[in-house]
Amino acid sequence: MILGGPGFPLSAREELNKVLSGSCPSARRMDLLTFDNVAIGYRRGQPLLPPISFAVASGDLVGILGPNGAGKSTFLRTLLGLLPPLQGKVRYPGGHEPRMGYVPQNAQFDYAYPLSVLEVVLMARSSQLGLFRRPGKEDVEIAKRELQAVGLQSISGQPFRSLSGGQQQRVLVARALTGEPELLVLDEPTSNMDPAAEHALLSMVSSLTATRNVAVVFVTHEISAAAEFARTVVLLDGAKKFFALGPAREIVTSETMSALYGRPVEVRRENGRVFVWLSANGSGGASP
Amino acid sequence: MTFWEARFLWEEPMLAAVLASAMLGYLGFFVVLRRIAFMSAALSQVSGLGVASAFLAGSYAGITPHSETPLWLNPSLWALVFACLGAAAMGLPARSRRVTPESAVALAYLAASAFVLLVLANPRIAQEAHEIGDLLFGNAVVVRRQDLWNLGFTGLLVLLVHGLLFRSFLFASFDSDTARVSGVPVRGVELVLHLSLAVAVAAATRALGALPVFSFLVLPAGAALLFSERLRIVLLLSVLIAVFSGAGGYALSWALSLPTGSVMVALGVGMWGVAGLKRLVEIRLGRES
Repeated sequence: MILGGPGFPLSAREELNKVLSGSCPSARRMDLLTFDNVAIGYRRGQPLLPPISFAVASGDLVGILGPNGAGKSTFLRTLLGLLPPLQGKVRYPGGHEPRMGYVPQNAQFDYAYPLSVLEVVLMARSSQLGLFRRPGKEDVEIAKRELQAVGLQSISGQPFRSLSGGQQQRVLVARALTGEPELLVLDEPTSNMDPAAEHALLSMVSSLTATRNVAVVFVTHEISAAAEFARTVVLLDGAKKFFALGPAREIVTSETMSALYGRPVEVRRENGRVFVWLSANGSGGASP
Repeated sequence: MTFWEARFLWEEPMLAAVLASAMLGYLGFFVVLRRIAFMSAALSQVSGLGVASAFLAGSYAGITPHSETPLWLNPSLWALVFACLGAAAMGLPARSRRVTPESAVALAYLAASAFVLLVLANPRIAQEAHEIGDLLFGNAVVVRRQDLWNLGFTGLLVLLVHGLLFRSFLFASFDSDTARVSGVPVRGVELVLHLSLAVAVAAATRALGALPVFSFLVLPAGAALLFSERLRIVLLLSVLIAVFSGAGGYALSWALSLPTGSVMVALGVGMWGVAGLKRLVEIRLGRES
């Protein structure tokens, strides 16, 4: 496990190291993608975090937590190959780049496009069809099957822009799955959802790791969602030059969350559920 | 002489208007949705600069204005090369975090406009100033046979390229990050899209002038997007509205003795007005989506 870096406040770093000591996840076969001392960021010489070593294997379920502006999106973009690392290597132990599915935040879309739900979902078949071929019957069937998996088959003909934020998010998940990914990356997939829809989507996504052996990496602001659904959790904060990962049960605690967010945060586990709240009296852990 | 009896006069310009408007009406779908409307205006200016530069270069090479021009000094070829270079250059800011695409387009537009005037001010090509002026401000009344062939060839090229790559153009335009993750070479695809736009603008500007070309790229697609939410219908309507503006504008300008380019634009604006009215009624009736 890697903790902290030169810019991370000593007290918080020590606090986190103390809390996390001995919680390093057991070694896995890194068969999809590895970061070997990768520095992420946009400007050479100004990496956002200390060099990161990190691996994603088939069937992994990784949640990423961090405050606003922590560099979560930069981390995801590097993972997706959209941003080259400033230093270090991204390796593909399988010998090829894994087929990736990406669920972006739906706020980034331009709703002027006159596209139906099915047309949006079919876009992801590009990885199978290449540049020139058009989607055929089989592609349409796969797209409809994935729409059914997210409970939206009945609205496949509707304009994408006419859907609610939560429905659009589910369409984007169906689109990512239509590309038959080996690695599914989701950027705040539940940001527009009510709690029931959020739970249903994360349950469905987490089941993919077992049913399809897909690796899933998701960014969330919901600490409880990461703690409940992810098996491994990554904590990062570019401002504090801090990066850590570990099993969800061990790394998502009141102490680590308080140190990460700079506010007293309480984390409690009861009957398999995780409850998180901001503590008013500051008893939650390290202060800024 | 009736309009029909005079068809030997208008057959070729009318055909040019139909070909150009259909091609540009379709391309306008991407122009409007990618928010690059002013790129087409800038490309018209850049291709006009290409024409002016060809005349200037010809004057230095000892070519008289109305003698046969060698291929390497052909104004259409220069317009095409300038437009392609301009399209590629205007795509560069997408890779920069400091230069916005709008400012790059504005820079190209202003630079091309200024340089055209500077080139035209050169006494060596004073005789061509009128022809280049027609190119920039629109004169679809007379179209040369060569320009018609160029338009037909360009239309076929655009049809072929977009027939093969339409899906990738759409994906890269709608969601470029996910397109890249899905294996679409977005930068290459966008460059091809911009080059197809540049080729079409260069050929159509030479035949019809800058004003109608700009209007065919913006008004029909804008109106079609107000009329429908279905991709295929929007594409079809965009082409039909453009052809209506082009052919109808030509016929109307003939009948009413009005400037051709301006009447084409006025019809396009009218169609946008009708589409906007329809949308307004829908919103009032609560069918908003």
